[in-house]
Amino acid sequence: MSQPRPVTENPIKRKTGMRALTGWIHLGLCAGALALPSSAEDGPPTLFIKVQRLIRRPGDEIQNAAIIVRAGKIAAVGVDLQKPEGAREIEGAVACAGFIDPWAALGLGADSLQDLGTSGATRTVDGLDPWSNEHLRREALRAGVTVVRVQAGNSSRVGGVGALVRVAPDLPRDEAVVLGDCDVSMSVGLSTSPGGQPERMDPFERIADLDRVVSAVENGRSYLLARTEHRYELEEWQKKIAEKDTELEKDAKKAKKDREKEQKDATEKGKPFQEKKYKEDKRPQPPRYDEDNEILARVADGGVPLLVQAHRSAEIRGLLSGTAGFDRLRMILAGGTEALSCARTLAERRVVVLVSPLPRGRGDLDEYEQSSLSLAGDLSRAGVTVLLGSGGSNPGSSRDLPLLAELAVGNGFDREKAFEALTLGAARAFDASERLGSLERGKDAEILVLDGEPLSSTSTVRYVVSGGRLVVEPQK
Amino acid sequence: MISILGLVLAPLVLGTPTTASAGESRPLAIRADRVLLADGKTLSPGVILAEDGRITAVGSDVDIPKDAAVVEHKGTAGAGLIALHSYSGAPWEMRDSTRTVLPDARVALAFDPARSDFEDALEAGITSLVLAPMPVALCGGISALVKTAGGTVVERDAQLSLGFSAQSLRNDRFPTSYGAAIAELERLFEKPEGTFARAASKKLPVLFEVTSREDVARAVEFSARHGLAGAIHGAAWAGELAEQVKSAGLSVVCGPLQVGEERRDLLAVLALAKAGVPFGFGLDAPGNHPAMLRTGAAMCVREGLDRATAWRALTSEAARIAGAGERVGALAKGMSADIVLWSGDPLDLASAVKAVYVDGKLAWEAKP
Repeated sequence: MSQPRPVTENPIKRKTGMRALTGWIHLGLCAGALALPSSAEDGPPTLFIKVQRLIRRPGDEIQNAAIIVRAGKIAAVGVDLQKPEGAREIEGAVACAGFIDPWAALGLGADSLQDLGTSGATRTVDGLDPWSNEHLRREALRAGVTVVRVQAGNSSRVGGVGALVRVAPDLPRDEAVVLGDCDVSMSVGLSTSPGGQPERMDPFERIADLDRVVSAVENGRSYLLARTEHRYELEEWQKKIAEKDTELEKDAKKAKKDREKEQKDATEKGKPFQEKKYKEDKRPQPPRYDEDNEILARVADGGVPLLVQAHRSAEIRGLLSGTAGFDRLRMILAGGTEALSCARTLAERRVVVLVSPLPRGRGDLDEYEQSSLSLAGDLSRAGVTVLLGSGGSNPGSSRDLPLLAELAVGNGFDREKAFEALTLGAARAFDASERLGSLERGKDAEILVLDGEPLSSTSTVRYVVSGGRLVVEPQK
Repeated sequence: MISILGLVLAPLVLGTPTTASAGESRPLAIRADRVLLADGKTLSPGVILAEDGRITAVGSDVDIPKDAAVVEHKGTAGAGLIALHSYSGAPWEMRDSTRTVLPDARVALAFDPARSDFEDALEAGITSLVLAPMPVALCGGISALVKTAGGTVVERDAQLSLGFSAQSLRNDRFPTSYGAAIAELERLFEKPEGTFARAASKKLPVLFEVTSREDVARAVEFSARHGLAGAIHGAAWAGELAEQVKSAGLSVVCGPLQVGEERRDLLAVLALAKAGVPFGFGLDAPGNHPAMLRTGAAMCVREGLDRATAWRALTSEAARIAGAGERVGALAKGMSADIVLWSGDPLDLASAVKAVYVDGKLAWEAKP
């Protein structure tokens, strides 16, 4: 038994992969600028968006500025840009990044959404239907929500791999999916009723749920260790083989002579010649392939965030203590009705909390004493990173996310933090900040043009650009 | 485990809503940057004066008595919100699983004002709620308008609930079919007695519980045939037949409008407004969070509902539908001093409740 080795290298080259991709995008942009001025036949058009106030990223604005959109990407952002020839010009008061609903149900049928038989390796993108719920998609777009995170098995104990997808209907699949593996989702203490409302349930079942989450991460880590170990063992084995080869090579002449002599002796003595055998170490075997553990290994290693839906204080505490040993794990807590009692630990452990700003009612059971509209604001003030989502059970709810964000603002959540939660914050938490969440060169063109302050009941979204296409225009 | 409606759960104060004895309290004067009136007008600034639980004056230049307790509010003051149709305080008391005609079952006798959902409602700026029987009986009983602070009953006989939808059918008791249900309702109103007689003489408004377009059409017809007054609960369908509802002189209880509500349902509310049908919003707490009353109205405003109409639907129009338009729902002389202080426009969801006064007394205050 060889010694366990610390995991020093991230076996999943996610970040590098992303960088490589963006590099490719830049390259593509340059090529596009040179070769295709404005009219890639069916591709996204070139747009020139001129606004009085341009919110590049939360807390960073420029006045009287413009954006050039080309081939689906933001090609330039600045104050003295010239309108490219042939570009469509759009004017407005305020521009900002498109909103992201990180807890949505749009684009997935109820059967996939409520599937209780999902496992870690279940991929949401496999159940995605870019043509579904067209009217709901259009409503969400009109409200400024351009990208959503959807999750097969939203309320099952282990939901599988979630995806960030564009809301705009009828997109080709490769354009619809922004990131096909933005998280792995699990839940603790939800009832198995459709919609997964956290009804009263047996405490032992809840403990079993907790154990399931922790064991899954543990399995992922063991798998990761076994695989890393195998890689080192394989390297060592290959090294040994190589050494032996060199040795044999070096002594080749002598060995040849010895062999010929032995052969001759054998012939003279009338004995059969026996070839000398070299004993070779057995090639080390990799751990048995397991599709669930493949993705859980990435979770344990921090390559993919783990999203856990939990509401009760005891469950959240259990989750925090159960996962304390996994120092590379990146956790997102969804729901978190009673999360305030653990706010300090959540902040210390950098657990992101995904809040649905309008909590459900108390129900007949009067169960949650701490269900509160001020959850987002209270957590944020305690130093926790807060995201806002529409709850993931009703595909129509994404449309109302901006209203819900306003509600959170009214109940003490800082306005700029709320804006960040809907844009860059969500992109960051789900590993898409290189593509989404702000208006910066090289990012996907997800742009809103409004007639006033974003997240205000008195302003309206006039134009929406998603994936570089103009998907909402003012209705005449 | 469902106990029979009519079981007295808690000692209740019946009768007049304001019972503060004279001399016990000083007059209250609230001076706010903006004061919302029922007709859609705004005083800025404005003063509301209240004494013994009632509003004595509202205006821009009201003389404040020397002994008054003065509250200065940097924000908007409006009448307390009124939610039509809720189960607060008695989620298990609103239905009877054995009988389907309970004309004298009064919800006013069956709720617990100490349940925490009343305080939740207060925090959301709701000062009165209509507690209604669940729409699972032919005649589920009589709803009540109660205050969220202390559970004072404002109107003991708000509406007689009539089940006009398939929801009132069950396969283990009469009626098991739609035809039988309508026939039974016709029979009850043919030679009406007792509570039904009061309804037939328009002394007691009715609430038609509907779930389909046909239900609305039947309710409209039924109401005209028997000379009833009242409202229809089921906005989506009533909105599509807004003109008929209007000509029958009925009002509508909309919603509750959930987050993610079908746009069609929201447009139905706009259709009601356009046809001039009086309407208010339902809530169905405690299943729904009380903040939903305002988010629902804000969703309608986003779709194009006039703000003044939305505000009336949350306050004065709702009070009128609940049979208490002369007592609550507006900031005007003689009304209950049920006042909510908002940080801004209440239809802007980024505005928050700062304080709630019920009967002239501070009932809830936001943490500083």
